Order: sequence, then C-alpha cells, then structure tokens
Amino acid sequence: MMGLLRTLLVQILAVALLSVGSPIVVQAEVIGTLAGIESAQRDADLARVNRALASEQAREQLQALGVDQAQMEVRLAGLTDSELSTLADKLEQAPAGGDVLAVIGVVFVVLLILEAVGVIDIFKKFP
Amino acid sequence: MRRLALAGAVWFLLIAQSGCTLNPPHFAPEETAGLPAQAELTQVPFFPQKEHQCGPAALATVLRSSGAAGLPNELANEVYLPGRKGSLQVELIAAARLRDRLTYEVSKDLPSVMHQVAAGSPVLVMQNLGITPIPIWHYAVVVGYDLDAGTLVLRSGTTERRVMGMRRFMSTWNRAQRWGFVVLEPGQLPADAQLDRYVAAAAALEAVGKLDAAGRAYARAHEQWPQSAWPQLGLANVSYRRGDRQAAEGGYLTTLELDPRNVVAHNNLAEILSDRGCVSQARAHADRAAALAKGTTLEAAVATTAQHVAGATTAGSGVSCPP
Repeated sequence: MMGLLRTLLVQILAVALLSVGSPIVVQAEVIGTLAGIESAQRDADLARVNRALASEQAREQLQALGVDQAQMEVRLAGLTDSELSTLADKLEQAPAGGDVLAVIGVVFVVLLILEAVGVIDIFKKFP
Repeated sequence: MRRLALAGAVWFLLIAQSGCTLNPPHFAPEETAGLPAQAELTQVPFFPQKEHQCGPAALATVLRSSGAAGLPNELANEVYLPGRKGSLQVELIAAARLRDRLTYEVSKDLPSVMHQVAAGSPVLVMQNLGITPIPIWHYAVVVGYDLDAGTLVLRSGTTERRVMGMRRFMSTWNRAQRWGFVVLEPGQLPADAQLDRYVAAAAALEAVGKLDAAGRAYARAHEQWPQSAWPQLGLANVSYRRGDRQAAEGGYLTTLELDPRNVVAHNNLAEILSDRGCVSQARAHADRAAALAKGTTLEAAVATTAQHVAGATTAGSGVSCPP
C-alpha cells in the first residue's frame, strides 16, 4: 500500500515538474520582442537558436569548469537564447575577468619593465 | 652602436605606445559638452575583492548603487567560474537581469563613460591589465573623473579609490574592446540613451521572464521614442505573456500603425485573432508576416503560425473582429 502511494506521489510530482516548463510550449508560436530585434539586425542565414540545445551545451561546459549543479539553473536563467548559444560555442575564447597572472621567470621580468614604462598595469592594484 | 640604436628604438616604441605624457587627453568640445569638470560618486559602496573575484565585487558595487541587493559572496555563486578563475562578461549581465535590473552597454569612448558617471551611474568596465598576448582580465567600476587633471577614480580590486590617469586607463580599456555597462532600474534612462541598445536590453529582460521590469523599461522607451514601433511591440508582448490578450491585440495594432512591416506584430496578431475565431483577419496577418519574414531568422516561426491559423475554425456571430 505504501509502495503504491509512493509511486503515485512520484508520478504526481513528475507531472508537476514537467508542467513548470509548459507555458513556454503553449506560447511557442508568439514571437518575443528580442527575436524580432535580432532578426532585424542579424544576417539572414543565421538560424534562430534552439534554446534547449544551447542550454544543454552550455550546461556541459559550465559543469566542466566547476559550476555546482545546484547553481546551474540560476546561472542559465538570466541568459537570452543567443547569449546561451554564444556561451556554448565560444566559452573557451571568452575573457574571464579575474586578475589571473600565470606567467613566470623571464616573462615576469618583461612584465615588470612594461609596467615600469606604463604599457601595462598589473602590479599597482596590489597595495 | 647599432645595439644602442636598437635599444633606443625599442624604448621609443614602448613609450610611444604607452602614451606616456603628463598632458591630460584632449576631447572634442562636443564630446564633453554639458560635463562638469569633475564628478565623483562618493556614495557608491566598496566591496574589496577576494582573490580572482573582481567580477562579483564589481557587480555588487553597481547593483547596490542601483538599489538592488547582492553581496559579492552570493554573486560569486552565479558569476564566478572556478575553472577559469574569473567571471564572464555575459554572466555579469545575466545576474543583474535576474535582479530586475536593466543592463545598458556604454558607448565605446571615454566621454560617454564620464557622462554616465555625471548622470549618477557608476560604470562597470573590463580592463586588460596585461598585454594582448598575455592578457590579465580585470573588472573595476568607474566612479569619478577629473577633466583638468586627466584622471579617473575607480573602485578596483582591494583599492577603494584608485586614481588612474586617463591615458593609462585607455590603454587597459582598449585592450578589452572598451567594454563596460551601467545597471539601471527599469524605467530609468541612461545618459546618452540609444533606442536600439535600450530596447534590446529591455527585450532581454522580457526574454528571461522578467516581465515587470521589461514592461517598465518599454513604457519609458515609448515615452522617449514615441514614433518607434519596438517599445510598443514590447508592451504588447508583455501584456500577452501576462495573459491580457485584449491589451496585447490593441498593442499589436498600434505597433502596425507605427511600422506596417513589423513581422512580429503581424505574426502575434495572427495568433491571437485565430485563437478567438477571427480566422480571415488572422490569415491576412499571417500571410503578410510570411511575406515579410522570407529569408530572415523568423521564417520558421512564422510558418508555424500560418499552419496554426490554417487549422483554426471561424467563430460564430457573437465575436467582434477587427476590420
């Protein structure tokens, strides 16, 4: 009896979870403002982004870079379809601001000189 | 002797590239028109960064000064990427959107940054503190400037009030494609507001489901640019997504008065009209949308609408349809 109840509960929850995404399906035919703006700006040969696919690819990449599963949905929620797709395609080339200096030895000396003459500005931020 | 000449040439090039000069940069008079000689937003909070976390710290700074919540350690969960020891630009934008804030990318010149500051908005900027082949990406927040001294004031890293020469700043900003943005309460316009950029930022809020924020931004844009169809379309789409189909229908019709060639308005109007049984009117709008969308990214979406309309049934005599 308990087993049956549990199965039923799981099924109800599963349906409830699925329905969270359902408004998107219902509204799929209405085109959002951003899609209109992007269409007016973008080259015609670029297809509209498939959000589900782009999300999946972005999720994989972020996970590989150490993003916690629990944070994943929040991180993706604020991105537009084309941002998701760019993230999925070009994450490796995208600059990540974090003051990472991973060079040593002779390069470091060169950097010091460049800093001294004002070409670069790395060391001043450490007070 | 040749060696000496070579060394001299190298130094000359280095100095020339760095713009090593005591003179403040010159701006065209129209670029600085209306700018006070100095400004500093002293009330902008300061969050000293932890290692590699200039992204969360800078984002918290601009969010807080726009009245939104968010501490660096909370934001780190959304914008810090451990595998890259840093934060991506697009994730900073996304995190601000989720807090109902509109992010507006600033024009890529220093006077525009100063205009934002003078109007009360600190500017989150990306800098490359290294050189192009060995980049060191950094985020900081411009909170002040002094035209006579040729300096900027930044919240940067662990320094609350970093005073930096404009020329030196420009070389670090140039190497980061002069990227920067302000965070606004929706309904607030930035200094130097450009229709396309503002409406696209509002549309991004709509796209991620921040309907209230999007609606307020569209309303403000409509006030500012009453002849543009996009803010009107945005308002109609927000009404639709809130379930107010009557307001949406009216909004799409107004959009088409402003721009009879707006594909999205034709398409969405076709959807609404066919759902309430005005099939012949729906078909006319669907046909128009299909013709206008040919060869664009919207072609497939418009074709789906046409199928939907083709399968609709005409309502009885009780329904009043637009002419």
